[in-house]
Amino acid sequence: MRRALLLTLLLVLCTQGVAGTQAVVLVVPADSNVVDLEPVTVRKLFLGLPVLVNGVPLHPFRNRSDAQLDPIFLQQIVAMSQSAYDRQILIGVNRQGWLRPVELTTRARVLATLYSDPNAVTFMWLRDVERNPKVRVIRVLWSD
Amino acid sequence: MRVSRLLIVLCALAAPLARGDPLQHEFLLFTSAEFAGTFDRQAPETQVVDEVLKADMLFSLQHGPLKLFGEYLVSDHEGDLERFQLGWQLSDDTIIWVGRYHQPTSVWNHDHHHGQYLQTSITRPAIDEWEDLGGILPQHFTGVLLESSRPVLDAWQLRTAVGAGLAPQLNPEGLQTFNLLHPDSNRRQVGYQARASLHPGEFTESGIGALVADDRLSAVGWNFPPGTGFDDVDLRLYGVFGTYAAAAWKLTATVYYADARLERHESIAASDFIVGCVQAERRFGHELTGFLRWEDSSGAGRSQYIKLFEEFARLGHIAGLRWDFAENQALTLQLSDTHTLNGHFADFRLQWSAAFF
Repeated sequence: MRRALLLTLLLVLCTQGVAGTQAVVLVVPADSNVVDLEPVTVRKLFLGLPVLVNGVPLHPFRNRSDAQLDPIFLQQIVAMSQSAYDRQILIGVNRQGWLRPVELTTRARVLATLYSDPNAVTFMWLRDVERNPKVRVIRVLWSD
Repeated sequence: MRVSRLLIVLCALAAPLARGDPLQHEFLLFTSAEFAGTFDRQAPETQVVDEVLKADMLFSLQHGPLKLFGEYLVSDHEGDLERFQLGWQLSDDTIIWVGRYHQPTSVWNHDHHHGQYLQTSITRPAIDEWEDLGGILPQHFTGVLLESSRPVLDAWQLRTAVGAGLAPQLNPEGLQTFNLLHPDSNRRQVGYQARASLHPGEFTESGIGALVADDRLSAVGWNFPPGTGFDDVDLRLYGVFGTYAAAAWKLTATVYYADARLERHESIAASDFIVGCVQAERRFGHELTGFLRWEDSSGAGRSQYIKLFEEFARLGHIAGLRWDFAENQALTLQLSDTHTLNGHFADFRLQWSAAFF
């Protein structure tokens, strides 16, 4: 009986361990010209600064389809609080007309944008894109 | 007609680069409402307006590396296309603009432009005041502006801006800028400006810098009685500035040296002056920010050029408190003590300001 309980407990822990492995990745369309983006470039991109590849600006899209992505975006990508981020965006628009990253609120819209815009750059849960041939993973931004 | 041809040519040039690139856009609205009153008033003229309502609209359109950026300000006393710039993003770091721009050698205006919500104090330093509000330096030019920000010395960032464009005209009402919506054929001359600043990081406001400008202003209506007065002003400006921005504190200091030459034929009336400004801001709990500003000048009283602007504040002290009470909204209370060339006055102001996407 004790052995059965122990086995059950181990099984539950193992299942949770597998399910708990999560990662947020930077993604682009499969036909994108982007090969790699350094973390500082990713930060610039999502703060609205222009980032050009082959002379064409990339289009950052902020994935807000899952509330758990917000703290990862603020801590790992732009490295600032929401209020500081909002102010930085305002300053950029006011000084040079920089474009604020468009916010997408459903996973379907995020994928549709990636399929239609070859210059799109966004971030997603790895589990949502790892078997998708139309999307290319550029780098891992966060994992637990 | 020339502008439309230029747009067509630029769009044609941009098309190959922007193939498959959708048109992107941005819109931002800054609004503010201000109430002001003066007391202890001995000056015959002040720049204080009792009530001011403002809506400052910014838009940006981008197609590939081509960008159109504009700013239209409407208030209860004016409506003006403040900026209208067609830009080409040459690289991640550099953009070149053609159109009406804010000259880069005003430290305050280069940072805040007309975005009332983004500046902690209600008023700007007198030396950085806009032309239509009694400002003594030309701020709006129509021409070419090149802006760049590139890494140097490992982690440092060098930001530069160079501009050349049609300068405002000087008449007895003050500096008159070239209006893109209602262009005139008045005699205008060209001004040149440059600034450079060094920052310890790409995203910090802290840094130090220097600026230089040489603006020639055509003077109209100053030849009375005939044979006297002046025809042109050669305004040379040199300045240094520094900002320290931390989580709780922000300190900004600026010093300008101006050499203004009032010219008529071979005769020149030289007049130089120095203007300085220091502002300290301290963040407290509950979204409160206190601020103090000290503005001072040397040689303003004997400058023939500054005497053309009776309302110019040669000395000023400002204190205030800002409360960011809601997302992108703030209330600000400010007290000022101002000395112009002709007298002194004090004023209080209360302002609501906001930013809306």
